[in-house]
Amino acid sequence: MVFLTLPCWIRNRGTDRFWKVQEIVKHARHFRGRKNRCYRLAMRAVRRAFVYATKGRKLKKRNMRTLWISRIAAATREHGMKYPVLMHNLATSSVQLNRRVICDLAITEPRSFLSLAKLARARQQEGFRAALGDGKEPPGVFSRVVMLQ
Amino acid sequence: VKMAARCGSSGLWRTCRVINRLILGSVRTQSSVSGELVPQTSLSRPPWSDQVSHFSEAEEQKRHSVVVRTVNQLLQDRDYGRLFVVVHFAGRQWKVTDQDLILFENHVQAECGDRIRLEKVLLVGAENFTLVGRPLLGKDLVRVEATVIEKTESWPKVHMEFHKRRSFHRKKILIQPQTVLRINSIDLAPRLT
Repeated sequence: MVFLTLPCWIRNRGTDRFWKVQEIVKHARHFRGRKNRCYRLAMRAVRRAFVYATKGRKLKKRNMRTLWISRIAAATREHGMKYPVLMHNLATSSVQLNRRVICDLAITEPRSFLSLAKLARARQQEGFRAALGDGKEPPGVFSRVVMLQ
Repeated sequence: VKMAARCGSSGLWRTCRVINRLILGSVRTQSSVSGELVPQTSLSRPPWSDQVSHFSEAEEQKRHSVVVRTVNQLLQDRDYGRLFVVVHFAGRQWKVTDQDLILFENHVQAECGDRIRLEKVLLVGAENFTLVGRPLLGKDLVRVEATVIEKTESWPKVHMEFHKRRSFHRKKILIQPQTVLRINSIDLAPRLT
C-alpha cells in the first residue's frame, strides 16, 4: 500500500459507503433531532441548508441596501429634509458616495453628514432659484400659476 | 474640487426656518385682509416656497475664499486630528482611516509587501472640516497609501440549486481569491483652491 499523504491514508480505512455518508453528515452534525445522524434525513436537511445559504447570499445584498436607505432616511429627517431630496441633490451635485458610505457617515461622522446635508440643501435652493427665474412669466405665455402684480 | 465646510455652521438652517415663518405669516395676513380679488388656492403660487438669494455673487465669492484660506491654514499647521477618507477601490467604497485593514474578494496586480496608492478619493474628513469630491478629489491634494499584506482564498462556499419534483440540482463549490490591504498613511497637502 502506498501512503502518498496522510488524508489519502486515512481515507483508505472504511468502506466507500461510510465515506459517502460522512460527506453529508459532517455538514449536519449541529442540526437538531435525528437528522444529525441518519443519512436519509441528513441528506434532505443539508440540501435545504445549502439552497438557503445560496439564496441568502443574494438576499443579503438587497436587505442591506434597504437597511442603509432606512437609516439614511432617519438621519436626514434630523436635518429637516427627506431621503429623496438628499439623494437627488447629492447626485445632481455629482457627489457619488454610495448608500453604504453615507449610512456609515450618518452613524459615525455626524458632522460630515451634516455638511453633506447642507450641500444638498444649498443645491436644492439653487435649483429653486433657477426655476423661479426673476419671478416673472416669460412673454406670451399664460400659465395656470396666477402672478398677481 | 468643491468643498462643503462646516465653518459656516448652522446659519443656513436658521435662515431657512425664519423664511418659512415669514412666508406663513404673510399668507395668513393676506387671507384675513380682503385685499386680494382672487382667493388663495394651491395654484396661486408655485408649489415651493419663495426662494430668496441669501447672498450676492460677490458676497458668496468672499465667503468661499475665506473658507478656503481657513482650511488651507489648518492644513499647513497640520491641525486636523485623525483623518478618515472614503476611497473607491475594488468596485466598492471604503471608509478607512490610518492603520485599517481592508479585505476584498479579488486579485490585485501587486506582490505581497508592495506599497500601492489608492487614487480615487471621494471624501476626506478631519476634525473641523470635510472635503467632498465631485466626484473625486485631486491627486495632489490627498495621498492614501496601502500595503498588500496577504493574498489568499476564501473559505469554500457551496452554491446549490434544487427544484423539487423536477430532478434538477446543481452543486458547485465557489472559492474566491482574497486580498488584505493595510492602510499605511493618509496625507493632505495645503493645495485647496
